[in-house]
Amino acid sequence: MLRYIAKRILIAIPTILIVSVLVFTLQQLLPGDPVLTLAGEERDPQVLAFLREKYRLDDPIPVQYFAWFSQVLQGNLGISLRTDIPVLHLILSKLPVTIELAIFAMVIALAIGIPAGVIAAVRKGTSVDYAANVIALSGLSIPNFWLGILLIMLVSVRWKLLPASGFVPPSEDLWLNIKTMLMPAFVLGTGLSASLMRHTRSAMLGVLRSDYIRTAKAKGLLSHVVIMKHALRNALVPIITLSTLLFGELLAGAVLTEQIFTIPGFGKLIVDAVFNRDYAVVQGVVLCTAVGFIAMNLLADVLYVLANPRLRHAR
Amino acid sequence: MIDNVALHARSADTTGATHSGRDALLRVENLSIRFDGAPPDVNVVDDVTLSVAKGKTLCLVGESGCGKSVTALSLMGLLPTPPARIVGGSAYFGGKDLFRMSEREKADMRGNQTAMIFQEPMTSLNPVFTVGDQIVEGILRHRKVSKSEARERALEMLRRVRIPAPEKRMQAYPHEMSGGMRQRIMIAMALANGPELLIADEPTTALDVTIQAQIISLIRQLQDESGMAMILITHDLGVVAEIADEVAVMYAGKIVEAGSVDKIFMDPQHPYTIGLMGSVPSIGRRQGKLATIRGTVPPAELMPKGCRFMPRCPFADVRCVTDPPPLAEITPGHSARCWYAPLEIHRGGVA
Repeated sequence: MLRYIAKRILIAIPTILIVSVLVFTLQQLLPGDPVLTLAGEERDPQVLAFLREKYRLDDPIPVQYFAWFSQVLQGNLGISLRTDIPVLHLILSKLPVTIELAIFAMVIALAIGIPAGVIAAVRKGTSVDYAANVIALSGLSIPNFWLGILLIMLVSVRWKLLPASGFVPPSEDLWLNIKTMLMPAFVLGTGLSASLMRHTRSAMLGVLRSDYIRTAKAKGLLSHVVIMKHALRNALVPIITLSTLLFGELLAGAVLTEQIFTIPGFGKLIVDAVFNRDYAVVQGVVLCTAVGFIAMNLLADVLYVLANPRLRHAR
Repeated sequence: MIDNVALHARSADTTGATHSGRDALLRVENLSIRFDGAPPDVNVVDDVTLSVAKGKTLCLVGESGCGKSVTALSLMGLLPTPPARIVGGSAYFGGKDLFRMSEREKADMRGNQTAMIFQEPMTSLNPVFTVGDQIVEGILRHRKVSKSEARERALEMLRRVRIPAPEKRMQAYPHEMSGGMRQRIMIAMALANGPELLIADEPTTALDVTIQAQIISLIRQLQDESGMAMILITHDLGVVAEIADEVAVMYAGKIVEAGSVDKIFMDPQHPYTIGLMGSVPSIGRRQGKLATIRGTVPPAELMPKGCRFMPRCPFADVRCVTDPPPLAEITPGHSARCWYAPLEIHRGGVA
């Protein structure tokens, strides 16, 4: 098992290298000159030249890349061109917000998606199944920003139940923190629950046809034990993988949702950075989310093996 | 034809227990099962009547798709409904009609008074639980015992089905075992609560020939020890001769011949049974070609109105085309579904 994990980590290294190159070069293709943004109204050629010199923007791109990446390896993601704050510091301050939102959203997605998928599979072909499928399809097709705005209008503006936007750190006021997170997490979670529901349903349908389900029934087990223990435990194997990958996507930040609810997470950080041509921040955030996503992939692989005894011993 | 030693192996105790026996443990009467979407009036199981006495073995014989497994699954309450539907008949087990029980009552009975083992040991065990847990689970479901007592019982069952190193095997997952070992686990699981009736649906078909004999002799031995009754579904006539008390031959959903093992083997009356006997290769000197029954079982939509075996029968005539023959008693405890049974009288010397 340990050897398997070590192998997966080794495979992840070249992936991260490639991502770093992509992040760096693609960003060069972005229109706009960071120096002009920085200098603002000041268009004195000497100032511009000084700034170019300072941030080594005139060096050839490979030189810039190696200069940047060697710093990254030392844990220095650079300094924000815009705010002069170290990128690492920016990321570390936004990361907990994004992680909290991601966890909240995932819990909601799992709490809706898995039971709905199980019920739809067990009641296949009945009105319950059709209803679940229609709701899931709507969940997949309703855009997050629309649902978000609708929720704000209803829950916050009309019913005044929850705050419309903003973020309060849990250390300050835990209850208020949960209240501000509830709606954005719900918006993200319902979107994910739709695909989780559909995957759960099809995995369960496959498993319920298996011979070992017949064996479980032949033992006299009651149907809820057959479904919740024997069938779901097998159907969970692919669902675990999917959930981990979905969680990785959440970590990359939910740009629209964070914008609507003005939550200071990764999504908002990267949008602001792109608008400001804040190269160092964009590079840092994208690299960070890429590493996070690769880590989630790794976790998915490991969980997949753990959940599946046939693989556990084979490795 | 059939090895005579095997044939007489069990003939000593084949008294009573006829297919209409009153003291039967299980009595199935006029069972008919339909599949949704099949043509009307064509039942996949049609008017099946059979019975099993305490401690005895009934072998259900017939080719694939003749309704043996469907019959067995319906008795266990494991038939998926829909698409299947029980359209007629009753099945009394210890005085209770299996088809009029609630789902809960059926579940209480399954794995307890009745148990079943299946054809595919490779896929019949849950891959994510250890075999020990899977046996323990069945014991805890029906017995008020502690977990450790259930484990003790499971361990004893593994010993009884002759699993080597049973303590170690309790912790093993199904994929770590061979097909033969997995079928032993299935048997241990089925017998863990001491059922009165075991239904074994072709338990050796998926196994290597050498393992087949081991599993059959294991089942027989366990049956002798426990005194349970058994319905063995098979198309291995060698096994039937060795193990059966009673035999019911099925063809296209109907029982075409039923009787004691002696009667069926020594004096088969239905042309299909005679054909089956002719299809068994013998170890002795070869005498011409291996006999086969020409043709195949007709699909549901082409099922003949009269005798279902008519298109393949060498003796068929006009009457067989129009009228379905009844299952008629030829001698006490021996019946056949053929207008011309006994064939010796109607057709002169045959077979």
